[in-house]
Amino acid sequence: MPHQRRLWIVLLLAWSLGPLLWQLYTSFCSDQALVAPLAATPERWTLAHYRAVLNSQPPFWRYLLNSLFVGTSSTLLTLVIALPAAYALTRLKPWIARPARLLLLAAALFPYVLLFLALLEVARSLHLGNNLLALSIPYAALSQPLAILLLTAAFRDLPLDLEDAARLEGMGLWQRLRWVLIPLIAPATTSTAILVFLFSWNEYPIALTWISDASLLTLPVAMARIAGSSIYSVPYGAYAAATVLGSIPLVLLVLVFQKSIVSGLTSGAVKG
Amino acid sequence: MILLLGPAGLLLLVVFAAPLLHYAWLSNHADSVVTGLEPVLNHGANWIRLLQDQRFWQDATQTLRFALVSVGVELLLALAIALLLDQRWRGRGAVRAIALIPWALPTTVMALGWRWIFNTPYGPLDQLAHALGWPSLNLLANPAITWIATVVGDVWKTTPFAALILLAGLQTIPGDLYEALRLEGGSSWVCFRRITLPLLRPYLALALLFRLAQAFGVFDLIQVMTGGGPASSTESLALYAYLNAMRFLDFGYSATVVSGSFLLLLGLCLGGWLLSLGLSRPQRQQEV
Repeated sequence: MPHQRRLWIVLLLAWSLGPLLWQLYTSFCSDQALVAPLAATPERWTLAHYRAVLNSQPPFWRYLLNSLFVGTSSTLLTLVIALPAAYALTRLKPWIARPARLLLLAAALFPYVLLFLALLEVARSLHLGNNLLALSIPYAALSQPLAILLLTAAFRDLPLDLEDAARLEGMGLWQRLRWVLIPLIAPATTSTAILVFLFSWNEYPIALTWISDASLLTLPVAMARIAGSSIYSVPYGAYAAATVLGSIPLVLLVLVFQKSIVSGLTSGAVKG
Repeated sequence: MILLLGPAGLLLLVVFAAPLLHYAWLSNHADSVVTGLEPVLNHGANWIRLLQDQRFWQDATQTLRFALVSVGVELLLALAIALLLDQRWRGRGAVRAIALIPWALPTTVMALGWRWIFNTPYGPLDQLAHALGWPSLNLLANPAITWIATVVGDVWKTTPFAALILLAGLQTIPGDLYEALRLEGGSSWVCFRRITLPLLRPYLALALLFRLAQAFGVFDLIQVMTGGGPASSTESLALYAYLNAMRFLDFGYSATVVSGSFLLLLGLCLGGWLLSLGLSRPQRQQEV
């Protein structure tokens, strides 16, 4: 049994990491080595691809910063709006809260890609295009269903006596939320924040249609642009280097916050 | 209290409800270069065009095929991974974190990675085939099989998500149940059939529903990996809607394509729901 299990674990790791490791390998290969991998080439390993990516105009770290900015602002906006809404859902009468939760679930299931065209027109008419901060409005909206459902589950787990005690102490609604309830659901808030951040960091169709200025592109769009530059001669070496650089922050994020991510996804499944 | 819902409600109305209404309205208007990008009422002409549009129906079947095959494979794999991660062994946490990585990366990042892996003749798969003396697989240029490559890319990226949902389900099953059945002489397979699968059903349903809806809207992966090609053999409905708007600048028809896709998805969900209702009812009575 243990032997068999070890085999499965190795297979799982190979399947999860294999494609990434191939990108890593590609990113250090010179162009000649990529075209003729088995032939003897004088210069097999190179850092040229990384140099090209980091020296391009705009430089690669720019996209990382853009994505970081969009991810952070979307996450903050989402939480500011979702926390009170989630609290309200746990305190409202069931005949409002239940249909509201069902609607949220439906919205969470909806393939949001289908919304891109209408959202593009919103961006056009309100002049929100090419504005990274504006991008966090649709992102926060699209994150609401998941965020509210996760936070509602967390609020529901808090004992009601606690809030009653705070009320007897003379605390108003905002004070109760700020000093008692929200600190208590910090773990759920963390998981929600990370999931929203990941979504905003990775989102593609809306960023693709809202942003055209090359220096404002988010990472996913910048990656796709490299692909779109020519169908037949994608600079795979440079692209692989970009993949590696672009993956490092996310890989670190997953490794550091994996407990929060897992608890966020799973509590959504168990209680939602 | 209801005021606290206000901002969230407003945001959801603007981003979910308003676009859907807008689509319903725009889908009955011509709005393209021909009309100078101004909406002009055309009394359902878009919808008639949609019904006769072979490319739309081809894309619809392709999208459905992609979604069904990809989600089916993915759930099987996810179940295997969840069962593996549900057992106790050293290093489980680290493996779980690593298994999550594909899910966390932007789709576009690895979509191009896959394009390189499936590349003819320089990608690793083709080189492996070459080393074994096989003919080139030509995965991205053969309209009959390219969709399989897109399924691989999708399964790789989204299986961790499904696996985590199933893992959550597995961890709600009390261990005593297994012990009781073991004492009665049940094998692991019997345990799996009689305890794991029935108790996991709601989680399987959730993962299935969620992933089917998302796979139906597949866009990023296909746009970057194949661009819908070769010969639009991998084009999805979302990509067709995108091309109509952004390449052909036909916004009215694009809205019709989106609305049509939405109606198809709704019908699909309804059908799936009725089917699951019909399947689960007799069984539930048995369990009680």
